[in-house]
Amino acid sequence: MRWFHSLAAAAAVATLAPAIAAAQTKIDFFFPVPVDGKLAKELQRLTKVYNDSQKDVAVTPVYAGNYDDAKLKAQAAAAAGKPPAVALMSANYILDLKIAGDIISLEPMLKAEGTTREKFLSDFWPALHANATVDGELYGIPYQNSTPLLYYNKDQFKEVGLDPEKPPQTWAELVADAKKLTKDGRWGFQLAGGYDYIGWLMQTLVMTNGGRFFNEEYGGEVYYDTASTLGAAQFVEDLVFKHKVMQQGVLDGGAVSTNFLAGKVSMMLLSTGSLSFIRENMKSAYGVGFVPKNVRNAVPIGGGSLVMFKGLSEEQKQAGWKFMKWLTTAETLGGWSRFTGYFAPRKSSYDLPEMKDFIAKNPDAKVALDQLPYAKPWTATYQTVAVRKALDDEMQAVLNGKKKAPQAVKDAQKAADALLKPYDDQTALKLP
Amino acid sequence: MRRASVRGGLVVTGLMVVTVFLWSTPFLWTLVASFRPDNSGGIHMASLLPDYTPTLANFIEALESGDFAVYYLNTAIVAFGILAVQIVTISLAGYAFARLEFPGRDVIFYVFLLQLMLVPPILIVPNLRMIVDLGLYNTLLGVMLPYFASAFGTFLMRQTFRQIPRDFEEAATIDGARWWQVLWHVLLPMAKPGLVAFSLVSLMAHWNEFLWPLMVLNEPSKQTLTVGLASFALGTEGGKEWGLLAAGTLLVMLPLLALFAVFQRQFINSFMFSGLKG
Repeated sequence: MRWFHSLAAAAAVATLAPAIAAAQTKIDFFFPVPVDGKLAKELQRLTKVYNDSQKDVAVTPVYAGNYDDAKLKAQAAAAAGKPPAVALMSANYILDLKIAGDIISLEPMLKAEGTTREKFLSDFWPALHANATVDGELYGIPYQNSTPLLYYNKDQFKEVGLDPEKPPQTWAELVADAKKLTKDGRWGFQLAGGYDYIGWLMQTLVMTNGGRFFNEEYGGEVYYDTASTLGAAQFVEDLVFKHKVMQQGVLDGGAVSTNFLAGKVSMMLLSTGSLSFIRENMKSAYGVGFVPKNVRNAVPIGGGSLVMFKGLSEEQKQAGWKFMKWLTTAETLGGWSRFTGYFAPRKSSYDLPEMKDFIAKNPDAKVALDQLPYAKPWTATYQTVAVRKALDDEMQAVLNGKKKAPQAVKDAQKAADALLKPYDDQTALKLP
Repeated sequence: MRRASVRGGLVVTGLMVVTVFLWSTPFLWTLVASFRPDNSGGIHMASLLPDYTPTLANFIEALESGDFAVYYLNTAIVAFGILAVQIVTISLAGYAFARLEFPGRDVIFYVFLLQLMLVPPILIVPNLRMIVDLGLYNTLLGVMLPYFASAFGTFLMRQTFRQIPRDFEEAATIDGARWWQVLWHVLLPMAKPGLVAFSLVSLMAHWNEFLWPLMVLNEPSKQTLTVGLASFALGTEGGKEWGLLAAGTLLVMLPLLALFAVFQRQFINSFMFSGLKG
């Protein structure tokens, strides 16, 4: 008779199972992988851990290409009536997505829990707040973040008589050190010149030159044709053509790190997101330092935040919110940070014992952490990608020796202004 | 006289060797890099010479970073499924435009050709909406559906059919064959070169397609090869693991390469046949 019982039990489970499945809310989680393929597997694993941990929500992890592909996919899916409840988007897209009406405010969820945006964000690094909020409402939760960092080859520093524990602190020191390091078949310094990357690094140089680069409070202005931007653009031009310490032409991030690993470049400016990769693959001794300054220490943030697309049912919104909160606990964010090399957006992640161990073992991660208090928001405007590309194009022309810096920043400003005009006309220039 | 022609032949052969070498450099590099032990960088990375002890580590890592068996199966279903339906639709449509007389035929044909002018990304949202309405979102059929009709294929088949002298069909018709029997027994066998050429183009295009499958498919178990490859090729903030990239690329192209190697004779024969006929 025992077999009958188990059969009956099995039948009962079989009939009940659909009922359970029906009560379960199904949502999609779209994510790009801007660093490494292993991350896609890890996010799938994390999602499975969450799915197994509870019965109310079933999350489908969806790999969606790079940041640009992921944005296109999420927008297309939302337009077709299948919006993702949770999507990992480049942090600088949030303003643009909100203006386009693609994502929804997270304020109602905060309210339902009796908390406020200030309370919710208080544990996140201050530099991350601006890119997560639009018009005083929360639209994104920071998930993986980076800043630029100076990487340098300690062995080559020793070889030319520089102190391997003292990376350059200022632009002047950077030029002096780079000149010593440059020789046949080796460049003293390199920054990534590919699309997106060059724009981000230009913002970095402008900020360390005292500038603001864009209006953090209003999406309709960028400051390309200013003294601080001109100085930064001229500095890049001089590194190549006057000081001759940087290779002429456009090298993307991958090419720069390959040259650095090969010892063909002594110093490079790259994302903290590359830290794990360099740590695992660099054969000579290397060190990291703050981005050298001309006027002040400052770096923009990079990376991605979690957002919610519009067009979801009430159950899906609640399910998405639950999953978002699970993904952004101090523990999950700390684990993700150790796995990827991004910094954890929550300050409390660094109070966890496993995080303290990690920082103690990896002093280079400590430098990236120490630079965080100087971090500032990332350029985000109406039509962010196109506005950024206006400067990317001009800077690539400078790197290729086809344009001089003063003309480049003027032309970039002109192109950006034309792109921003429709928004300005609707907002700042719309007068009573 | 003879010596001159021998010398001429040598020059031509030499030029061809150089051209072949230039054309195959990217492939050679991929091959060499995929077996290189130190996959992340180093000055040797750019070398075309295998100056190392070969390792399979890159292939193993590539295979581990994605479920390649599933990707292969899905890609094969999509690429061959599309082709199977296309062969039917383009043969019938090509026949209609080449042989049947009906009002507005040429206008319809040119409107049909206009499709070739559209850039595919423009159609992403409307197509995706239709796929969702049909309940085919996140299915392989949803990836295949928009390609079941092909403007290029129809054009190609129409031109091929029109080159075949009508005498053959008339002979068959006198013997009592219906239009579909003529198409099946007379026209299609003679249009084989066109079909083979089209199959090659269609298979390559859909095997390598990235954007549309990325839009339609969500679950990892339904992904295709290109999307799987992209998960470790698109990183910008990290470094480039060239060896891994090369191994992954080889894995993606291997089946097509093998297919071409096996059917090489048929492909070339079919092109030669079409050349003789024209």
